[in-house]
Amino acid sequence: MELQEKLKILADSAKYDASCSSSGSNRKNKDGIGNAASSGICHSFASDGRCISLLKILLTNCCIYDCKYCLNRKSNNIKRAIFTPEEICTITLNFYRRNYIEGLFLSSGIIKSPDYTMELLIKTISLLRNKYKFNGYIHAKAIPGCNPKLLKQLGSLVDRLSANIELPTENGLKLLAPSKESKNISQIMEYVKNNQNKKYVPAGQSTQMIIGATKETDFEIMNQSSSLYDKYKLKRVFYSAYVPINKDNLLPSLEQPPLVRENRLYQADWLLRFYNFKVTDLLDSKNPNFNILLDPKTDWALRHLNEFPKEINTCSYYDLLKIPGIGVKSAKRIITSRKTFTIHIEDLKRMGVVLKRAKYFILCNGKYVTNKDNFKKEYIEKNIVLGDFSHIEQLRLF
Amino acid sequence: MKNVYIYENDFISLLNLIFYLLKNKLKPENIKNEFYTPSLFENNITLTITKNEKNIEWIIKNIGKYSMKSIYYVFLSEEENKELIIYYFLLNALKYRQKIMYHRNLKCVSEVLRISEYVIHESHKMKGFLRFKELEKNILYAEMEPTNDILYLISCHFNSRLKNELWIIKDNRRKIISIHDKKQFIIVKEKDFEISTQKESINEKNIENLWKTFYKTIGIKERKNDRCRMNFMPKKYWKYITEVKKEL
Ligand code: SF4
Repeated sequence: MELQEKLKILADSAKYDASCSSSGSNRKNKDGIGNAASSGICHSFASDGRCISLLKILLTNCCIYDCKYCLNRKSNNIKRAIFTPEEICTITLNFYRRNYIEGLFLSSGIIKSPDYTMELLIKTISLLRNKYKFNGYIHAKAIPGCNPKLLKQLGSLVDRLSANIELPTENGLKLLAPSKESKNISQIMEYVKNNQNKKYVPAGQSTQMIIGATKETDFEIMNQSSSLYDKYKLKRVFYSAYVPINKDNLLPSLEQPPLVRENRLYQADWLLRFYNFKVTDLLDSKNPNFNILLDPKTDWALRHLNEFPKEINTCSYYDLLKIPGIGVKSAKRIITSRKTFTIHIEDLKRMGVVLKRAKYFILCNGKYVTNKDNFKKEYIEKNIVLGDFSHIEQLRLF
Repeated sequence: MKNVYIYENDFISLLNLIFYLLKNKLKPENIKNEFYTPSLFENNITLTITKNEKNIEWIIKNIGKYSMKSIYYVFLSEEENKELIIYYFLLNALKYRQKIMYHRNLKCVSEVLRISEYVIHESHKMKGFLRFKELEKNILYAEMEPTNDILYLISCHFNSRLKNELWIIKDNRRKIISIHDKKQFIIVKEKDFEISTQKESINEKNIENLWKTFYKTIGIKERKNDRCRMNFMPKKYWKYITEVKKEL
């Protein structure tokens, strides 16, 4: 088989993995080729608007398992291919030299056994690191059920090592991926967490959940994420809107991948990690799914309007973060600025704070930015939703 | 008549001039580089100023390294009044010293921050968007047309990343080239350097095709979103981006 065709098959089967980041490592170029940029670098953007930073491929799309949602499941009648380690090195190095990519994302279907597959991954990556002295970013997927000794080897070669939980709950996994055991996935996460340091998986681990293939609510999904962040110190949880590839009675028949929902989950995930929100602030069992029309923070603020408007010049950092439209960067700017001067509305604009949403929720030196009579839930909600309406088209496609 | 003070087109000359103006309490109505043609109501003034490293050191000591870096980025921008912005920033920095950056309510500070962020942002984007071609003799060759003068910043990045490669990066807008010889890079005017070969290596088309195949394959068609792609990867860069230039 030609290299071109192999690449096509093995990129096609890797594309549903949502992880794209290349940040968090500062591997140096020790007399070879490449280094890692700790901020991460996007090299291109695909037709779906997602960032391309790594050469995202599978080593092989052959698999002994039959996970229902997966293109590569054994029962699918598709073309199969396998890369040799040398082929992967050739493509990676040639792409890297031309600055097409930031590094390699290598995953694999399971051939023969988890251990056998892991050994192939290790062989490939150590060739790249040792023979070709490649110091660019590498993210490898660990194969659930493999020997911990192999996790040790692979982790000391890569920047990020991760395992996908894929389905938000144990039941989902039992239903759609009967041969995968969730304890095998948590074992990997546990191992990586316990061993992580500057030389072992320096960029930490991440995971991915498929959204909408099973019936979990947003509340269940966010609870799972939050416990994963706590338990395993994950850097990121990625959410991947389920794209119906296979026909199966156990799978929902969707027209479109649930992209708005995916976006809401990312927004909420952000609130958990950087804004000091808890899942129970955002959702509960009576109200288990996010509002499709409003982002989670605005939705929360409208339900807690009695806490607003907040005075920009005096409220705490965490209170600033609760204001819709004010992000971490703006909040920090406000805190440092107000030590030197009293902030007026014009200053906010000058400081790069976007007022589109925030204006409804703040006082600036005692002044409400728009008409005080309009400080009512219905009014604010209507205006924000309408304001977003022009973007909705884009969102739906996002 | 408006007084326009003229500097040789480099950062050090500009700083020396501003240092001189501040010291002698001369208030410029404008500051421009040597290529500036004055309007009817303007009067170009070229002072003979001896460049002195001590002046630069004095500035750094007073405003701090971070502010110094920021005004350097402003200098690299195409902002119409960048020299005056730097002048006013330094004027205020004499008063506020290292705390100057906290004064975001001053126009010169918010402008310096806005413009420097823009330059850093473009330079960061270009670290991803730049595309090398392999020429004969293993030379890597790239062209770009950035809005800001980021060739030096980009070169520093590739200086460590591709340190064992021969590479050339050309800024077609400013007609300058950066040349790396595996030890260091230098930036020269295009007319002062002739590239010995422009022929692509035998392997080049092959690799380009592999990349284009990858690019096409990796997008999920059920999620197609051109607007989002364009937001992240503005059209003005496409001309030199291998995988999308055909779409222009
Ligand atoms: S083990 Fe992985 S590759 Fe194999 S069927 Fe399941 S999800 Fe697909």
